[in-house]
Amino acid sequence: MARSPLLQTLRPVRGRLVGSLLLMVVSTVAGLVPLVGIVELARILLPALTGSPVDGGRAWVVVWVSVGALLVRLATVLGSSWLSHVADLDLSIHLRRLLVARLGRVPLAWFTERNSGTVKKAVQDDVAALHHLVAHSVMELTAAITLPSVVAVYLFVVSPPLALVTLVPLALGLAGFRISMRGAGALYRDYDAGLAELAAATVENTGGIAEIKTFGATGQAHRRLAEVATRFGGFNRAWMRHSALGMLLMELALTPALTLVLVLGAGVWMLRSGWVTGLDLVPFLVLGLAMTAPVTVAGYAARELREATEAARRIQRLLAEPELPQPASPAPVPASSRVELHDVSFAYSPGAPPVLHGIDLVLEPGTVTALVGHSGSGKSTLTKLLPRFADPTAGRITIAGTDLREMTSAQLYEQVSFVFQDTGLLRTSIRDNIRLAHPEAPDSEVRRAAEGAQIAGRIDELPRGYDSVVGEDGQLSGGERQRVAIARALLSDTPILVLDEATAAADPESEALVQRALSRLVAGRTLLVIAHRLSTVTAADQIVVLDEGRVAELGTHEELRARGGRYARLWAADQRAHPADGWAEEESA
Amino acid sequence: MITIVRPLADLVDRDHRRQLTRVVAMFVTTGVLQGLAFACVVPVLDAALRQDWPAATTWLLVLAGLFVAHHIALTVGNLDGYDLACDLLDITLARLGDHTVRLPLGWYDQDRTGQLSRMASKGATDIASVPGHLLRPLISAVVSPVTVVVVMAFLEWRLALALLVGVVAVLATTRLLAVIVGRGEGAYDAAMAQGSARVVEFALNQPALRVFGRTVHGNELVETALREQKRASRRLLVTGFGGLGIQLLSIQALLTLVIALAVHLSLGGTLAPATAIGLLVLTVRFVESLIDYGELSSALRIAEGSLRRVLDVLALEPLPEPATPAEPADSGIELREVAFSYDGSTRVLDEVSLVAPPRSLTAVVGPSGSGKSTLLRLVARFHDVTAGSVMLGGVDVRDLGTEALMRRVSIVFQDVYLFEGTLRDNVLMSRPGATEDDLAEAARLARADDIVERLPHGWQTRIGEAGSTLSGGEKQRVSIARALLKDAPVVLLDEATAALDAENEAAVQEALTALSADRTVIVIAHRLQTVVAADQIVVLDGGRIVERGSHSELLAHGGRYLDFWRERTQAEGWRLLEAPQGPQSP
Repeated sequence: MARSPLLQTLRPVRGRLVGSLLLMVVSTVAGLVPLVGIVELARILLPALTGSPVDGGRAWVVVWVSVGALLVRLATVLGSSWLSHVADLDLSIHLRRLLVARLGRVPLAWFTERNSGTVKKAVQDDVAALHHLVAHSVMELTAAITLPSVVAVYLFVVSPPLALVTLVPLALGLAGFRISMRGAGALYRDYDAGLAELAAATVENTGGIAEIKTFGATGQAHRRLAEVATRFGGFNRAWMRHSALGMLLMELALTPALTLVLVLGAGVWMLRSGWVTGLDLVPFLVLGLAMTAPVTVAGYAARELREATEAARRIQRLLAEPELPQPASPAPVPASSRVELHDVSFAYSPGAPPVLHGIDLVLEPGTVTALVGHSGSGKSTLTKLLPRFADPTAGRITIAGTDLREMTSAQLYEQVSFVFQDTGLLRTSIRDNIRLAHPEAPDSEVRRAAEGAQIAGRIDELPRGYDSVVGEDGQLSGGERQRVAIARALLSDTPILVLDEATAAADPESEALVQRALSRLVAGRTLLVIAHRLSTVTAADQIVVLDEGRVAELGTHEELRARGGRYARLWAADQRAHPADGWAEEESA
Repeated sequence: MITIVRPLADLVDRDHRRQLTRVVAMFVTTGVLQGLAFACVVPVLDAALRQDWPAATTWLLVLAGLFVAHHIALTVGNLDGYDLACDLLDITLARLGDHTVRLPLGWYDQDRTGQLSRMASKGATDIASVPGHLLRPLISAVVSPVTVVVVMAFLEWRLALALLVGVVAVLATTRLLAVIVGRGEGAYDAAMAQGSARVVEFALNQPALRVFGRTVHGNELVETALREQKRASRRLLVTGFGGLGIQLLSIQALLTLVIALAVHLSLGGTLAPATAIGLLVLTVRFVESLIDYGELSSALRIAEGSLRRVLDVLALEPLPEPATPAEPADSGIELREVAFSYDGSTRVLDEVSLVAPPRSLTAVVGPSGSGKSTLLRLVARFHDVTAGSVMLGGVDVRDLGTEALMRRVSIVFQDVYLFEGTLRDNVLMSRPGATEDDLAEAARLARADDIVERLPHGWQTRIGEAGSTLSGGEKQRVSIARALLKDAPVVLLDEATAALDAENEAAVQEALTALSADRTVIVIAHRLQTVVAADQIVVLDGGRIVERGSHSELLAHGGRYLDFWRERTQAEGWRLLEAPQGPQSP
């Protein structure tokens, strides 16, 4: 069953939308009442011209009916608008909750393939794009269709030939619209491409401004931007020139002056010819000009409808993203922290070349396994499979013999945690950040974790201590944020830990403190660590050298050095970059 | 209406200002002619109802004349307006481009990118739409009812007075509505921004949220923000609603009031019935113009906002440039009593004096926030000093001018920006005339030759937006190759290299060593080799130089530098897998 994504998205609020629409119809008709009242007044007052008596009482009835219509209009317009806005509010929060809930269940790898902008666009911008449609466009469009329809029927009842005359401007306006849009597709595509190019060039000129200036390319970059701007200006001009005639025709046709001239000219002529009475002219002058109003509104509404449909499509696509499968019945609690990888392969997408091939590896409880290799060798991919950012494409990973896929998230994360370079701190109090895994943890435990992570002193210095909100109260440096993240891992206290050693080196300002915190964190755990500086992991129980997604070498530091292979070469490079030995003597010299 | 025309005039040159005046005048004429055409309804209808055909014909001819004049003015004004719209787009983009390139580098930060690119795309088209689409209906919605009232004042002053009072009431309520909605909008925007930030945070931190087992808690933060969003929208809705009701009520009440008044006057015999009907028709036209104006006002607000933002940027002071750039004597750098403040009150640097002779290596060390990066940025004239002076070769950098300064300085900072284009373009940009040999040599020294080898299309490989196809270390090596090729006598360096694998790190360091050879170097130092090799070391703390000297002098001195040295040696010798090295020192 192929249903419009828009209708599907609006389904939860369709009752109220229909209600809003009906009220809007009533309101539009009520808005016409005073105008029809003027026509009625003409019928009552004009006989005075021929000396007939005027029914003053009836004239006042017309006035009071107009007042009544005013109140009806007020009530219905507010009611309609209220219904549609409330529907919009409920729909927005409903969709956002659904989206957020879905995001919490898709495989983590899904996020690595997209940037946060995509997520924000779906949850905030696309939902907001529906807002205008639900809260405004539906009402506006209803009014824009109801008004001319009711008026047209009324005018045709009064005088069919004169009613036909009022349709002339409408026909001309539509013709102008058609002319302005004819063959515009290609021009519009150029215009859009030019706009995108302009935005990109501006981004480049702003983001790379330091490089542009220091490498003396100011003139060149400036010229490029100017060229792009000129090209876009040219597209704009071509587009404008192409549509100018049609747009002008549309304006000329839809201006009230044309309808006025046509109605009065034709009306007086028909009056003289006896086709209409003088009274018949009045409704055309009062209401006839309303006929042209819908053209512009319909144009806007059509565009909004298109945009909202696109937004709804993106929302539905996101809501249909497959979730990371959860087991039907939870596995028994693992008896140990022994991790095994059996013939694990992984590719980021079904067709893509695998980044890991047939990895076999055992992490004995309480031991340290270090992963080394070039960037792109698969180290970080491998570490991300253990906390189940994604599932292996082939093979299996087990903890104490149980496949990760048979464990619930809660079970898995009681066993595994990690510290990576991006700290993952939330904009909330430091206390809540540290006790993320155990929200009920007492302050004493939070404090102990902070002390272990070498950050307690710094937190005490902050004006609001543990209540300081990350990113608001006093800026934490990179190294400080990392130590808060380490405190969090300490508090969560899982037997298995995945770590990126580069965490320590990311902020040279406080490297030593982060190092101390890390040493404290890893003690006694089953550890899988990505090592950048090999000297830090020479004591590892096993070192795994990865190369193009395969295990190239496996052994202890001494064994691998003796082998004279890849590891030995990496070690030599490491020593060149960090000739640390000998500095201690420098100080005493 | 004035609020949009005047800033538009500020944006353009004299010729275009004249064109703008012409367009506005043409549209005002259109509005007056339209108002007069509306007014013709009264005599035409009156004559027609009285079957006075000669009078009807005369007035119809007058109406036809007004109509023709109106359509001519409309055509001329519109075509001129379309033309102006195109020029305005070009002018906005050109002025933005010309101006921003002269702004101090310090003005550019992360927020600017999005801000400027929005300004150049959406902002500029918003501005161009003013003479193209907005001005005509807007002017007509104001001028034609005014004309109607004036004409009506001659025909029946009592109804005209009623309309005038009504207009004032409607405008006042529109104003009130804008104020009320505007107040709610602030809170609404804040709630929306907060919600967006939470959603992005939720997405970015999914790994941590899940692994720490509390997606629930993460959800709580998002949920709170979403609820706050809804509350703010509802508040905006309620306040906006009151305003909307009042506005609608006042417009329709005005119409009803005039109808009642016309009935009263007509029944009282002081207003001829045919005239009364004609005047009521006129009133309907008048009221509809008011409604149009209300509908256009939001488009007007958007255009005004875009225009104001562009003008704000154009009003920023560019870095002053000397008329004739001075000629520096050598590549030595000197800071004399330099003070600097970003906000005008807190000094980030104070009383900093420093001499870096030609071809010397100066290492800057100090805790984070001590002003190290600011010092480097002042030498490169990202900002001008608040007090004191920065000299290159005995000449104040302000007398040297940006271009001459930049010719002599290479900068390698942490965040490297690579441009869309080939690898070759990215390196060659620093010296477009370089020979193949120069290019190969720079690549070799920067250890970028293996990158060229690794990439499928070698030098011709296209680098994605912001250089996304290269790793961090590779990007750094490309930027060093660029700096080497430029061969500037002064090098400013920030050593803080983000985590690199061992091989990359060794390569980057060798590249930096090559770049520093034989040049005046000021480096924010983190590596032990660098400080040991430095001719002088400057220790910054709280924006002041607290110690200076050579490595051995400073070690012997036993102050801050010794702490730095101890910490760095300890970090270098760290082993993840040894027992913790004792309690944290306070």
